[in-house]
Amino acid sequence: MIQVDELRKEYDGVVAVDDVSFEARPGEIFGLLGPNGAGKSTTIGCISGLLTPTAGSVRIQQYDVAREPVAAKSRMGIVPQEVALYEDLPAEENLRFWAEAYGLRGERAAERVRAVLDTVGLADRGNDRVETFSGGMKRRLNFGCGIVHEPEVLLLDEPTVGVDPQSRVRLLDLVREQAGAGVCVLYTTHYMEEAEALCDRLAILDHGKIIAAGTLEELRGKEGERDLVRLSGSFDPEAVGRAVSDVEGVEIVAAGPEQVALAVAAASRRLPEILTLVSGTGAAVRETTVTRPSLESLFIRLTGKELRE
Amino acid sequence: MRFLLATARKDLLRLRSDWPALLLWIGIPLLVGGLLVLVFGGDSNPRARLLVDDRDSSLAGRLLTGGFSQGPLAEIVDVEGVATDEGLRRIEDGDASALLVIPEGFGAALLDGRPASLELVKNPAQTILPAILEATLDIELEAAEVLRRLFDEPIARIAADEDREGFPPDSLVASVAAEFNRAGEGARGWLLPPAIELATVEPPAEQAFDFGRAFFPGMLILALLFMATGLSADVWSERRLGTLERAIVTPGGVGTFVAGKWLAGAAALALVAAIGLVAGRWAFGIEIANPALAFVWLALVGVALLAAFTLVQVLAKSERAASVLVNAVTLPLAMLGGSFFPFEAMPSWMVALGKATPNGWALLRLRAIVDGDPEPRLLAVSAIGVIALLVGGGWLVTRRIRSWTS
Ligand SMILES: Nc1ncnc2c1ncn2[C@@H]1O[C@H](COP(=O)(O)OP(=O)(O)O)[C@@H](O)[C@H]1O
Ligand SMILES: [Mg+2]
Repeated sequence: MIQVDELRKEYDGVVAVDDVSFEARPGEIFGLLGPNGAGKSTTIGCISGLLTPTAGSVRIQQYDVAREPVAAKSRMGIVPQEVALYEDLPAEENLRFWAEAYGLRGERAAERVRAVLDTVGLADRGNDRVETFSGGMKRRLNFGCGIVHEPEVLLLDEPTVGVDPQSRVRLLDLVREQAGAGVCVLYTTHYMEEAEALCDRLAILDHGKIIAAGTLEELRGKEGERDLVRLSGSFDPEAVGRAVSDVEGVEIVAAGPEQVALAVAAASRRLPEILTLVSGTGAAVRETTVTRPSLESLFIRLTGKELRE
Repeated sequence: MRFLLATARKDLLRLRSDWPALLLWIGIPLLVGGLLVLVFGGDSNPRARLLVDDRDSSLAGRLLTGGFSQGPLAEIVDVEGVATDEGLRRIEDGDASALLVIPEGFGAALLDGRPASLELVKNPAQTILPAILEATLDIELEAAEVLRRLFDEPIARIAADEDREGFPPDSLVASVAAEFNRAGEGARGWLLPPAIELATVEPPAEQAFDFGRAFFPGMLILALLFMATGLSADVWSERRLGTLERAIVTPGGVGTFVAGKWLAGAAALALVAAIGLVAGRWAFGIEIANPALAFVWLALVGVALLAAFTLVQVLAKSERAASVLVNAVTLPLAMLGGSFFPFEAMPSWMVALGKATPNGWALLRLRAIVDGDPEPRLLAVSAIGVIALLVGGGWLVTRRIRSWTS
């Protein structure tokens, strides 16, 4: 279990994480979804003990990370955002070192090294130096180093960034396997589809704050049954706002000179009406997209911006 | 304890996989030793021909190649200007040891502190002579960097004058020279490239000069000095690799991790010390009165240097700054510490300074041990000092590393 209470982290006065609280349970994949710079890595760093929180507390199982760091740290496995491996050592020796760092010894350590090599699909490359590996293989080994000591809590920081599609599928399966075995998994990502496909519950993070949290169903429910209609072209944002303000079931989500986003119930039927209204303000619409309710439309509605920036 | 040993084991494995570096650390002092043999004691004087294609024609380039035509190097190195094509052909014909290409803009880059590169084509058929040329160039470039930092102002003036054809006018030279002088009479001894400085060393003519006794202990200390410098940079590698962050979040923590790294470093340093002592005995026929004590002393000196240099490394702001800083410390230590040229041949103000350097101190104690006249009190005090350095330095290094992330 991970319990984060009112966590706050400032870097020289700049707030990176602001009053973040959540709880992740055993056997669950808890997602932290947010764009670059949202504070995901900082949150993970405060949980792992790499960073010292400015305020707030973190507990791993029953252990407070600040007060009982050894007990808390020995129960955690960490897969950092950047691959962290000894390039000049064989895969096997990398795993063995991290196994020993967490107190495994002798035959037990050797057994775990073999098992993890097998799990991450590198059984036949165990004796090869990491520098000869492809990016995807390094990512998998990086994951393996985080689970070699069978942690009860696993922290994953964007483990699929820059990974080829095949390795990515494999990594996501590995994460599910861990949760299936009862591990409490915290998974950060800026890929909405990944969060939707993987996480049991999630929190959406922006500018260091949690702006929405819950199960996938709950989050989609917040979005209502309305579709997201995005128009691009050139607009007078205020005129568009006035034009649609009285229309039943249509709400402005974001409006700018080049982009307008609207939440619309049953958008496909009402698209002609909306386009007529918007064009009536003197706008030139170049492109129209309609998106079904999703995390992305929720994110855009909550923050007024695209997730991928 | 487990984490400590695991860290040490991991580092030793990494060192083993990087054995060329180990060879280099052993090799550099042997090379310097070999050079000194050639200069002072060797009976046959092989000559190296260095071909130079100077496309830059800057002052920096002329100084660089000028280093080869001074002092003892002039005895074994001929410098000759060529065009690259001709140079390559002559190397192929076995007519030269190496071809140095100074690219256009080299001098300007060096003066501005921008990355400057030289190309050295070595004659593959020769081993030692090209290596000597390369090592000398390396040292000259390091020295140039240190000089640039120290003498920023007068160098800026030279730089401003670089566009002029030919040599700078006397007035400029005079004013710059005056400024160099002011910038540090004392610093001069160690700042000038060793190749130039070696010129002043003359073996005493009347008494028989025992090369081994004079230089062998110095070479051992020098090997440890270079090796500790190299090993200490590994904290930065670990930081770059991201493994340092991983180590911080283990239950063992970064303090144990650093201790493990030092343990591995101590083992490697001790190995090189042992090889050195054995080589001294069997290859150079040097009698060592108490080899066991000499070994323990060298291992202690090695780990102390490693701890001190690790501290210097982590105090720097970046990996690049750390490398410059550590070299700026190592170079004068090596020059002053009695390894390159014996205390007996130094001016007295330099001797006082040199004997106070850690490596100079280590060398004096080692010489006493080799001569069968160890100084138990000084050795005991040193051992206590080393332990204090390990504990205090370890604490500081750990704190500094923690401040990088938290
Ligand atoms: N060491 C640091 N010093 C100063 N600011 C930092 C540091 N690390 C992160 N930040 C800032 O904190 C915010 C959150 O960063 P981060 O946690 O890395 O976001 P994410 O992982 O979601 O991309 C960003 O604005 C980033 O610029
Ligand atoms: Mg991040």
